[in-house]
This record gives sequence, C-alpha cells and structure tokens, in this order.
Amino acid sequence: MSFLELKDITKSYGTLNAVSDVTLSVEKGEFVSLLGPSGCGKTTTLQMIAGFVEPTSGTIRLDGRDITHAKANSRGLGIVFQSYALFPHMTVFDNVSFGLEMQRVPKSDRRPRVEEALELVHLAAYAGRYPRELSGGQRQRVALARAIVIRPPVLLLDEPLSNLDAKLREAMQFELRDIQRKVGTTTVMVTHDQAEAFSISDRVVVMESGRITQIDQPYRIYEHPETEFISRFVGKTNLLPGTVQAVNDRAATVSLGGVPVEIDAGALVRGDTVTLCIRPEKLRLTGTGLGRLPGRVAERYFLGSQWLYHIDGPLGTLMAVTPNDGSAPLDTGEPVGLDWTPSVVRVHRGRLAEAPDPTLEAH
Amino acid sequence: MTRNGPIALIFHSLVVLFMLAPLAIVCLVAFTPENTLSLPTRGLSLRWFEAVFRHPDFVQSFWNSLWLALLSATLAVVLAVPAALAITRWEFRGRGFLNALFLSPLIIPHLVLGVAMLRLFALVGATGSFGWLVAAHIVIVTPYVMRLLIAAITGFDRSVEQAAYSLGASEATVFRRVTLPMILPGVTGGWLIAFINSFDELTMSIFITSPSTVTLPVRMYMYATESIDPMMAAVSAIIVGITAVAVLLLDRVYGLDRILVGQH
Ligand SMILES: Nc1ncnc2c1ncn2[C@@H]1O[C@H](COP(=O)(O)OP(=O)(O)OP(=O)(O)O)[C@@H](O)[C@H]1O
Ligand SMILES: [Mg+2]
Repeated sequence: MSFLELKDITKSYGTLNAVSDVTLSVEKGEFVSLLGPSGCGKTTTLQMIAGFVEPTSGTIRLDGRDITHAKANSRGLGIVFQSYALFPHMTVFDNVSFGLEMQRVPKSDRRPRVEEALELVHLAAYAGRYPRELSGGQRQRVALARAIVIRPPVLLLDEPLSNLDAKLREAMQFELRDIQRKVGTTTVMVTHDQAEAFSISDRVVVMESGRITQIDQPYRIYEHPETEFISRFVGKTNLLPGTVQAVNDRAATVSLGGVPVEIDAGALVRGDTVTLCIRPEKLRLTGTGLGRLPGRVAERYFLGSQWLYHIDGPLGTLMAVTPNDGSAPLDTGEPVGLDWTPSVVRVHRGRLAEAPDPTLEAH
Repeated sequence: MTRNGPIALIFHSLVVLFMLAPLAIVCLVAFTPENTLSLPTRGLSLRWFEAVFRHPDFVQSFWNSLWLALLSATLAVVLAVPAALAITRWEFRGRGFLNALFLSPLIIPHLVLGVAMLRLFALVGATGSFGWLVAAHIVIVTPYVMRLLIAAITGFDRSVEQAAYSLGASEATVFRRVTLPMILPGVTGGWLIAFINSFDELTMSIFITSPSTVTLPVRMYMYATESIDPMMAAVSAIIVGITAVAVLLLDRVYGLDRILVGQH
C-alpha cells in the first residue's frame, strides 16, 4: 500500500465537477507534481488532501489511515501556500516556531529545531525580521521552513514558485528539490509550469478539466504523451493529421495530405485517421535535396541556447529547433531538407481536435 | 494624489482656515483673564479652567462622558467583531438585513433616535439609567466600528488562517493568535472613532440623560442656554483637546486617510 492514496476523489460545486474520479498513489519520499492548465482542479485536489475542502465522494488514505473527513488541524501536513501566508505580525523565528508550539514541543527543544529549519533554507541570519522586511524568495523559504519544521508526513505545495521572477524561480526549483531530498518528506506540488514540474518531480500527474490524463515520469510524459492534449500542453510540438495508407509488420505509411511518411507501426490498420506528433528538437535540418522532406526557412527566432525555425514545406509550417552551437544560423528564405528518425514520431488516433492551444490557457 | 494648482491651493487653505479658525479662537478665549468672551490681550490665565474643575456639575458630567465613551466604545467593539466576521465571511439568510440593521443608525437623525429612545426608556422603566444610556450610545457608534472592521476583514488573506490551522492550531487559537492581531488596526481604529463619537454626542443624549447622567456636551448646552461666559470656552477647549488626542492616536494606529479617503 502506498503512503498517500487518493481513491475516486470527486468534488462537485453544484453541477460543476471541479475534480472527477481522481485516483493517485504517492510513495513515501516521492516528489509528485500535479500539472495542468488553469482551472483544471489542481488546487482543489491539493486542498482536499490538506483538509480545507471536503470531497464529494472518494477516500483519502495517509499511511493506511482514512483521513477523508479528518479536520485539517489534525492531519499534521505541511502546506506552502501560493501567497506564502506568513503571519505578518510575527518574526521569522515565531512564524517557524508556531507549528512546534501548537504541537506542544517544549520551549527548549523549539529553538534548536527552528534554527535547524532556518539553516536548511539559508535564512539563519533573518530570524528576527518580520515578513514585510523580506524579499519574495526569502518569504517563500520562510514558508517552506515553517511547513517542514513540524516534520510533516506529507508536504503540500501550491504553486510555491509562481510569485518569483524567472531567474529566482529556477534557482529555487533546484533548492526545493535539494531540501526535499535532505529531509525526505513525501511531497505533492501543484504547478502549471511544465519546466518546473519536470525538473524537480519524480512523477508528474497531468490533469485536464478535473481528470487525471497521465501519470508518469517527466521524461516519459514528454516523450510518450498519451493524449494529443498532453503533447501540446507539455512543450512545443508539430501536429500532423493524416490517414494510414499501408501497414506491414514493422512500419506503416501515413499519408499526410498526399505526402507519404513512414512511421514505426503500432496497432494501426489501413484507413485509420491519426495525428502524428514530432517535437521540434527531433527535426534535423539537412542540406537541400537531402532528408525526407524539402523545406524553406520562413522565420527564425533566437532563444539563447537554441534557434527556433519555422519551416515551410509540403506539410505546412513546421517548427524545428537546433542548438546554438556557435555555427552560423540559417537565413530566412534559405532552402533546407527536413529529416527525422521514424522512432521519434508519436502517433495519436483520431483527428486533431480544433481545440484552443492549451499552452495559452495555462497562463 | 493629484497636485493642486495655485487657485485650488488658495481655496483649500481658505476652507481649512474657515474650519480651524473657530476652534483656534475658542481655545484662545479659554485662556482669557477677563469676565467676558474675549481674546486674551492682557496675558494668559487658567482661571476659567479652574472654574470648570471647581464646578461640581461639570466635573461629574466630565466623568459621566468619559465612562460613557469608554464603555460604549468597548462594548460596541466586542459586539461588532463577531458580527463583522459573520457578515463578511459567511453566507446565511438575513445577512444583508443584518448588515443594514447594523449600519442603519448612520442614516437615522440623532434627533429621531433621541425621541425614540426616550419613549423606549419610559416603556421599560429605565429613564435616567446609566446602563441604558450606554446601550443607546452603543447603537449610534456601532456602525462606525462595523465599517472599519468590515474593511479590515475584507482585505484579509484567508490562507494565513488556513496556514495556522494546518499547523495544528484550534479555531480559538487561530482567532486569538492570527485573526485578531491581523485586524487589530481596524479594531483599535474602530474603538477610537466610537469613543470620539460617543464623547461628542449631544442631540440624542439631550433626550435621554437624567440629572445624574448628564454628559459634558449636554451640560454645556444647558449652561449655554442660560449664560455665556469664558467657562464655556474652557470646556470646549477640553473637549477639543480630548478629541484631538483621540484623532492623533487614530492616525497613528490606523491612518486617517484610510478612514476618510478609503485608501490602503
Ligand atoms: N469554492 C468554489 N466554488 C465553486 N467553484 C469552485 C470553487 N473552487 C474552485 N472552483 C472551480 O473549480 C475548478 C477548479 O479550480 P482549481 O482552483 O482547483 O483550479 P486550478 O487547477 O488550481 O487552477 P489555477 O491554475 O488557476 O490555480 C475551477 O473551474 C473553479 O472555478
Ligand atoms: Mg490553483
């Protein structure tokens, strides 16, 4: 049995199901992220684990104990809120000490534990300050120290880094992971930032309108997205609708608007409508006349470590990304060839739904 | 804030002068050594202040007013904190009605309230009771406390309470250790405004004070209808002084611009 288990959790507000049939097992010490666009029910799920929202149905078990209807102040979980929710009228020390006081830890034991927690988040020198005298990143770390000082069985983080600027956010991602490794606390984090979810989680749970659509390791989610929604939400991708033309035991040929493309055969049959997904960094730009398809550079964007090209060709405009290895980039209008390894092509059944781009909804 | 042009500046200065001049003159007159209301031209004297403190009726009224203001402000706050919390945080039937009820004394003229209270006191046989006078003052000062408290509670991040709760605090502890300290400026501000309003209240009190419960403004009014001498100025100066101290405190703990302009 897993350490934290959600079974068929549903939360309805009137007719709206904010969360539907969520089943999730988290192992002890694991770092799991809930990832999904805005309004998909991540916070609601986290609040149900925390005990601030009562599930309409389903059960939540912690270490074998049913806590579905336990009061939030009896669960002993550590929570970091998006707004940090520090006590503004208490010093950093008192903020961190509060939970220990509530647990009736003797005063003499509180001090070393608070100091240890502040040490862990590199704020030992700030114990006497008030939250308003701290920067965003420092407040965030106080919130983290306050949550972990009570040695909670599970740490819950709701978009803990979303109020920080990009640079600090990246630094804090690694620090967060580092601290979590050190204390070994089972952690569930909510985020709508896929880079954040990928870089620090053991497993990522992708949610879409109240439901879980995939639970997997970050790499697997990126490389093997189970739905077309995920492949679009997670990173950039080229989506190509087509029809299966021919199948033999190892390969299948898909016609993309008349252009035949060979892919690794799955359980496909002739006549299936499919959507092919190719990540931009999997497309190789070769010399003219080489590769699988001809193309022409339509736009060029500089991303620092990479170049992003829009390539016009027989399949429409495709995105391709090449590392900025110091060589001269291609110019707009320059003809190129496009090549890829058949195994990098992901196949989704069915036509591309004309849904809005989920990456736009996420912000 | 927009910058004022020279004409607006002159206009504002005139308005302030117009409002402050009578106060300044009354306070100056209080120090006159003469027997008539006049500006002290032949040196300053405290004789009229002395006269006030020698006058047993005024001394008694001063204590009446002070106790009345302290009690009604404190009780209004005790009443308004749970009421404001309930109105801002819970959805319940009659919430709008309750809110309107608490604020209604603001729009009822004190004259009308005075007559109504007079009738009520007669009905319950409470004419002249200090306790009922306090109750009547609670009615008129509570709306001010409610307004400030509702503002304080509305701008409150609930997740701070959730954080305390998740750390194992009971509901009572969350209120005592987190909610109350965080709305404390609103509470203190409300208390001071209530104090000032009660201490200055005349219109309603005229109807419902008895000889033993006469408040300072009512005593002044009674005295002034018979004779006007510099002692009136001295009493005025005392009231202005106490109110000014309260306003300064209010500005310190809550910020006057937040009350008067609604800025945060
Ligand atoms: N108290 C509530 N009453 C009614 N509907 C609610 C309530 N709380 C949340 N919802 C709805 O439930 C859905 C999920 O909300 P939730 O806050 O869990 O989203 P989220 O995934 O955390 O989004 P975000 O990334 O924007 O924080 C939303 O459609 C929201 O409007
Ligand atoms: Mg959320």
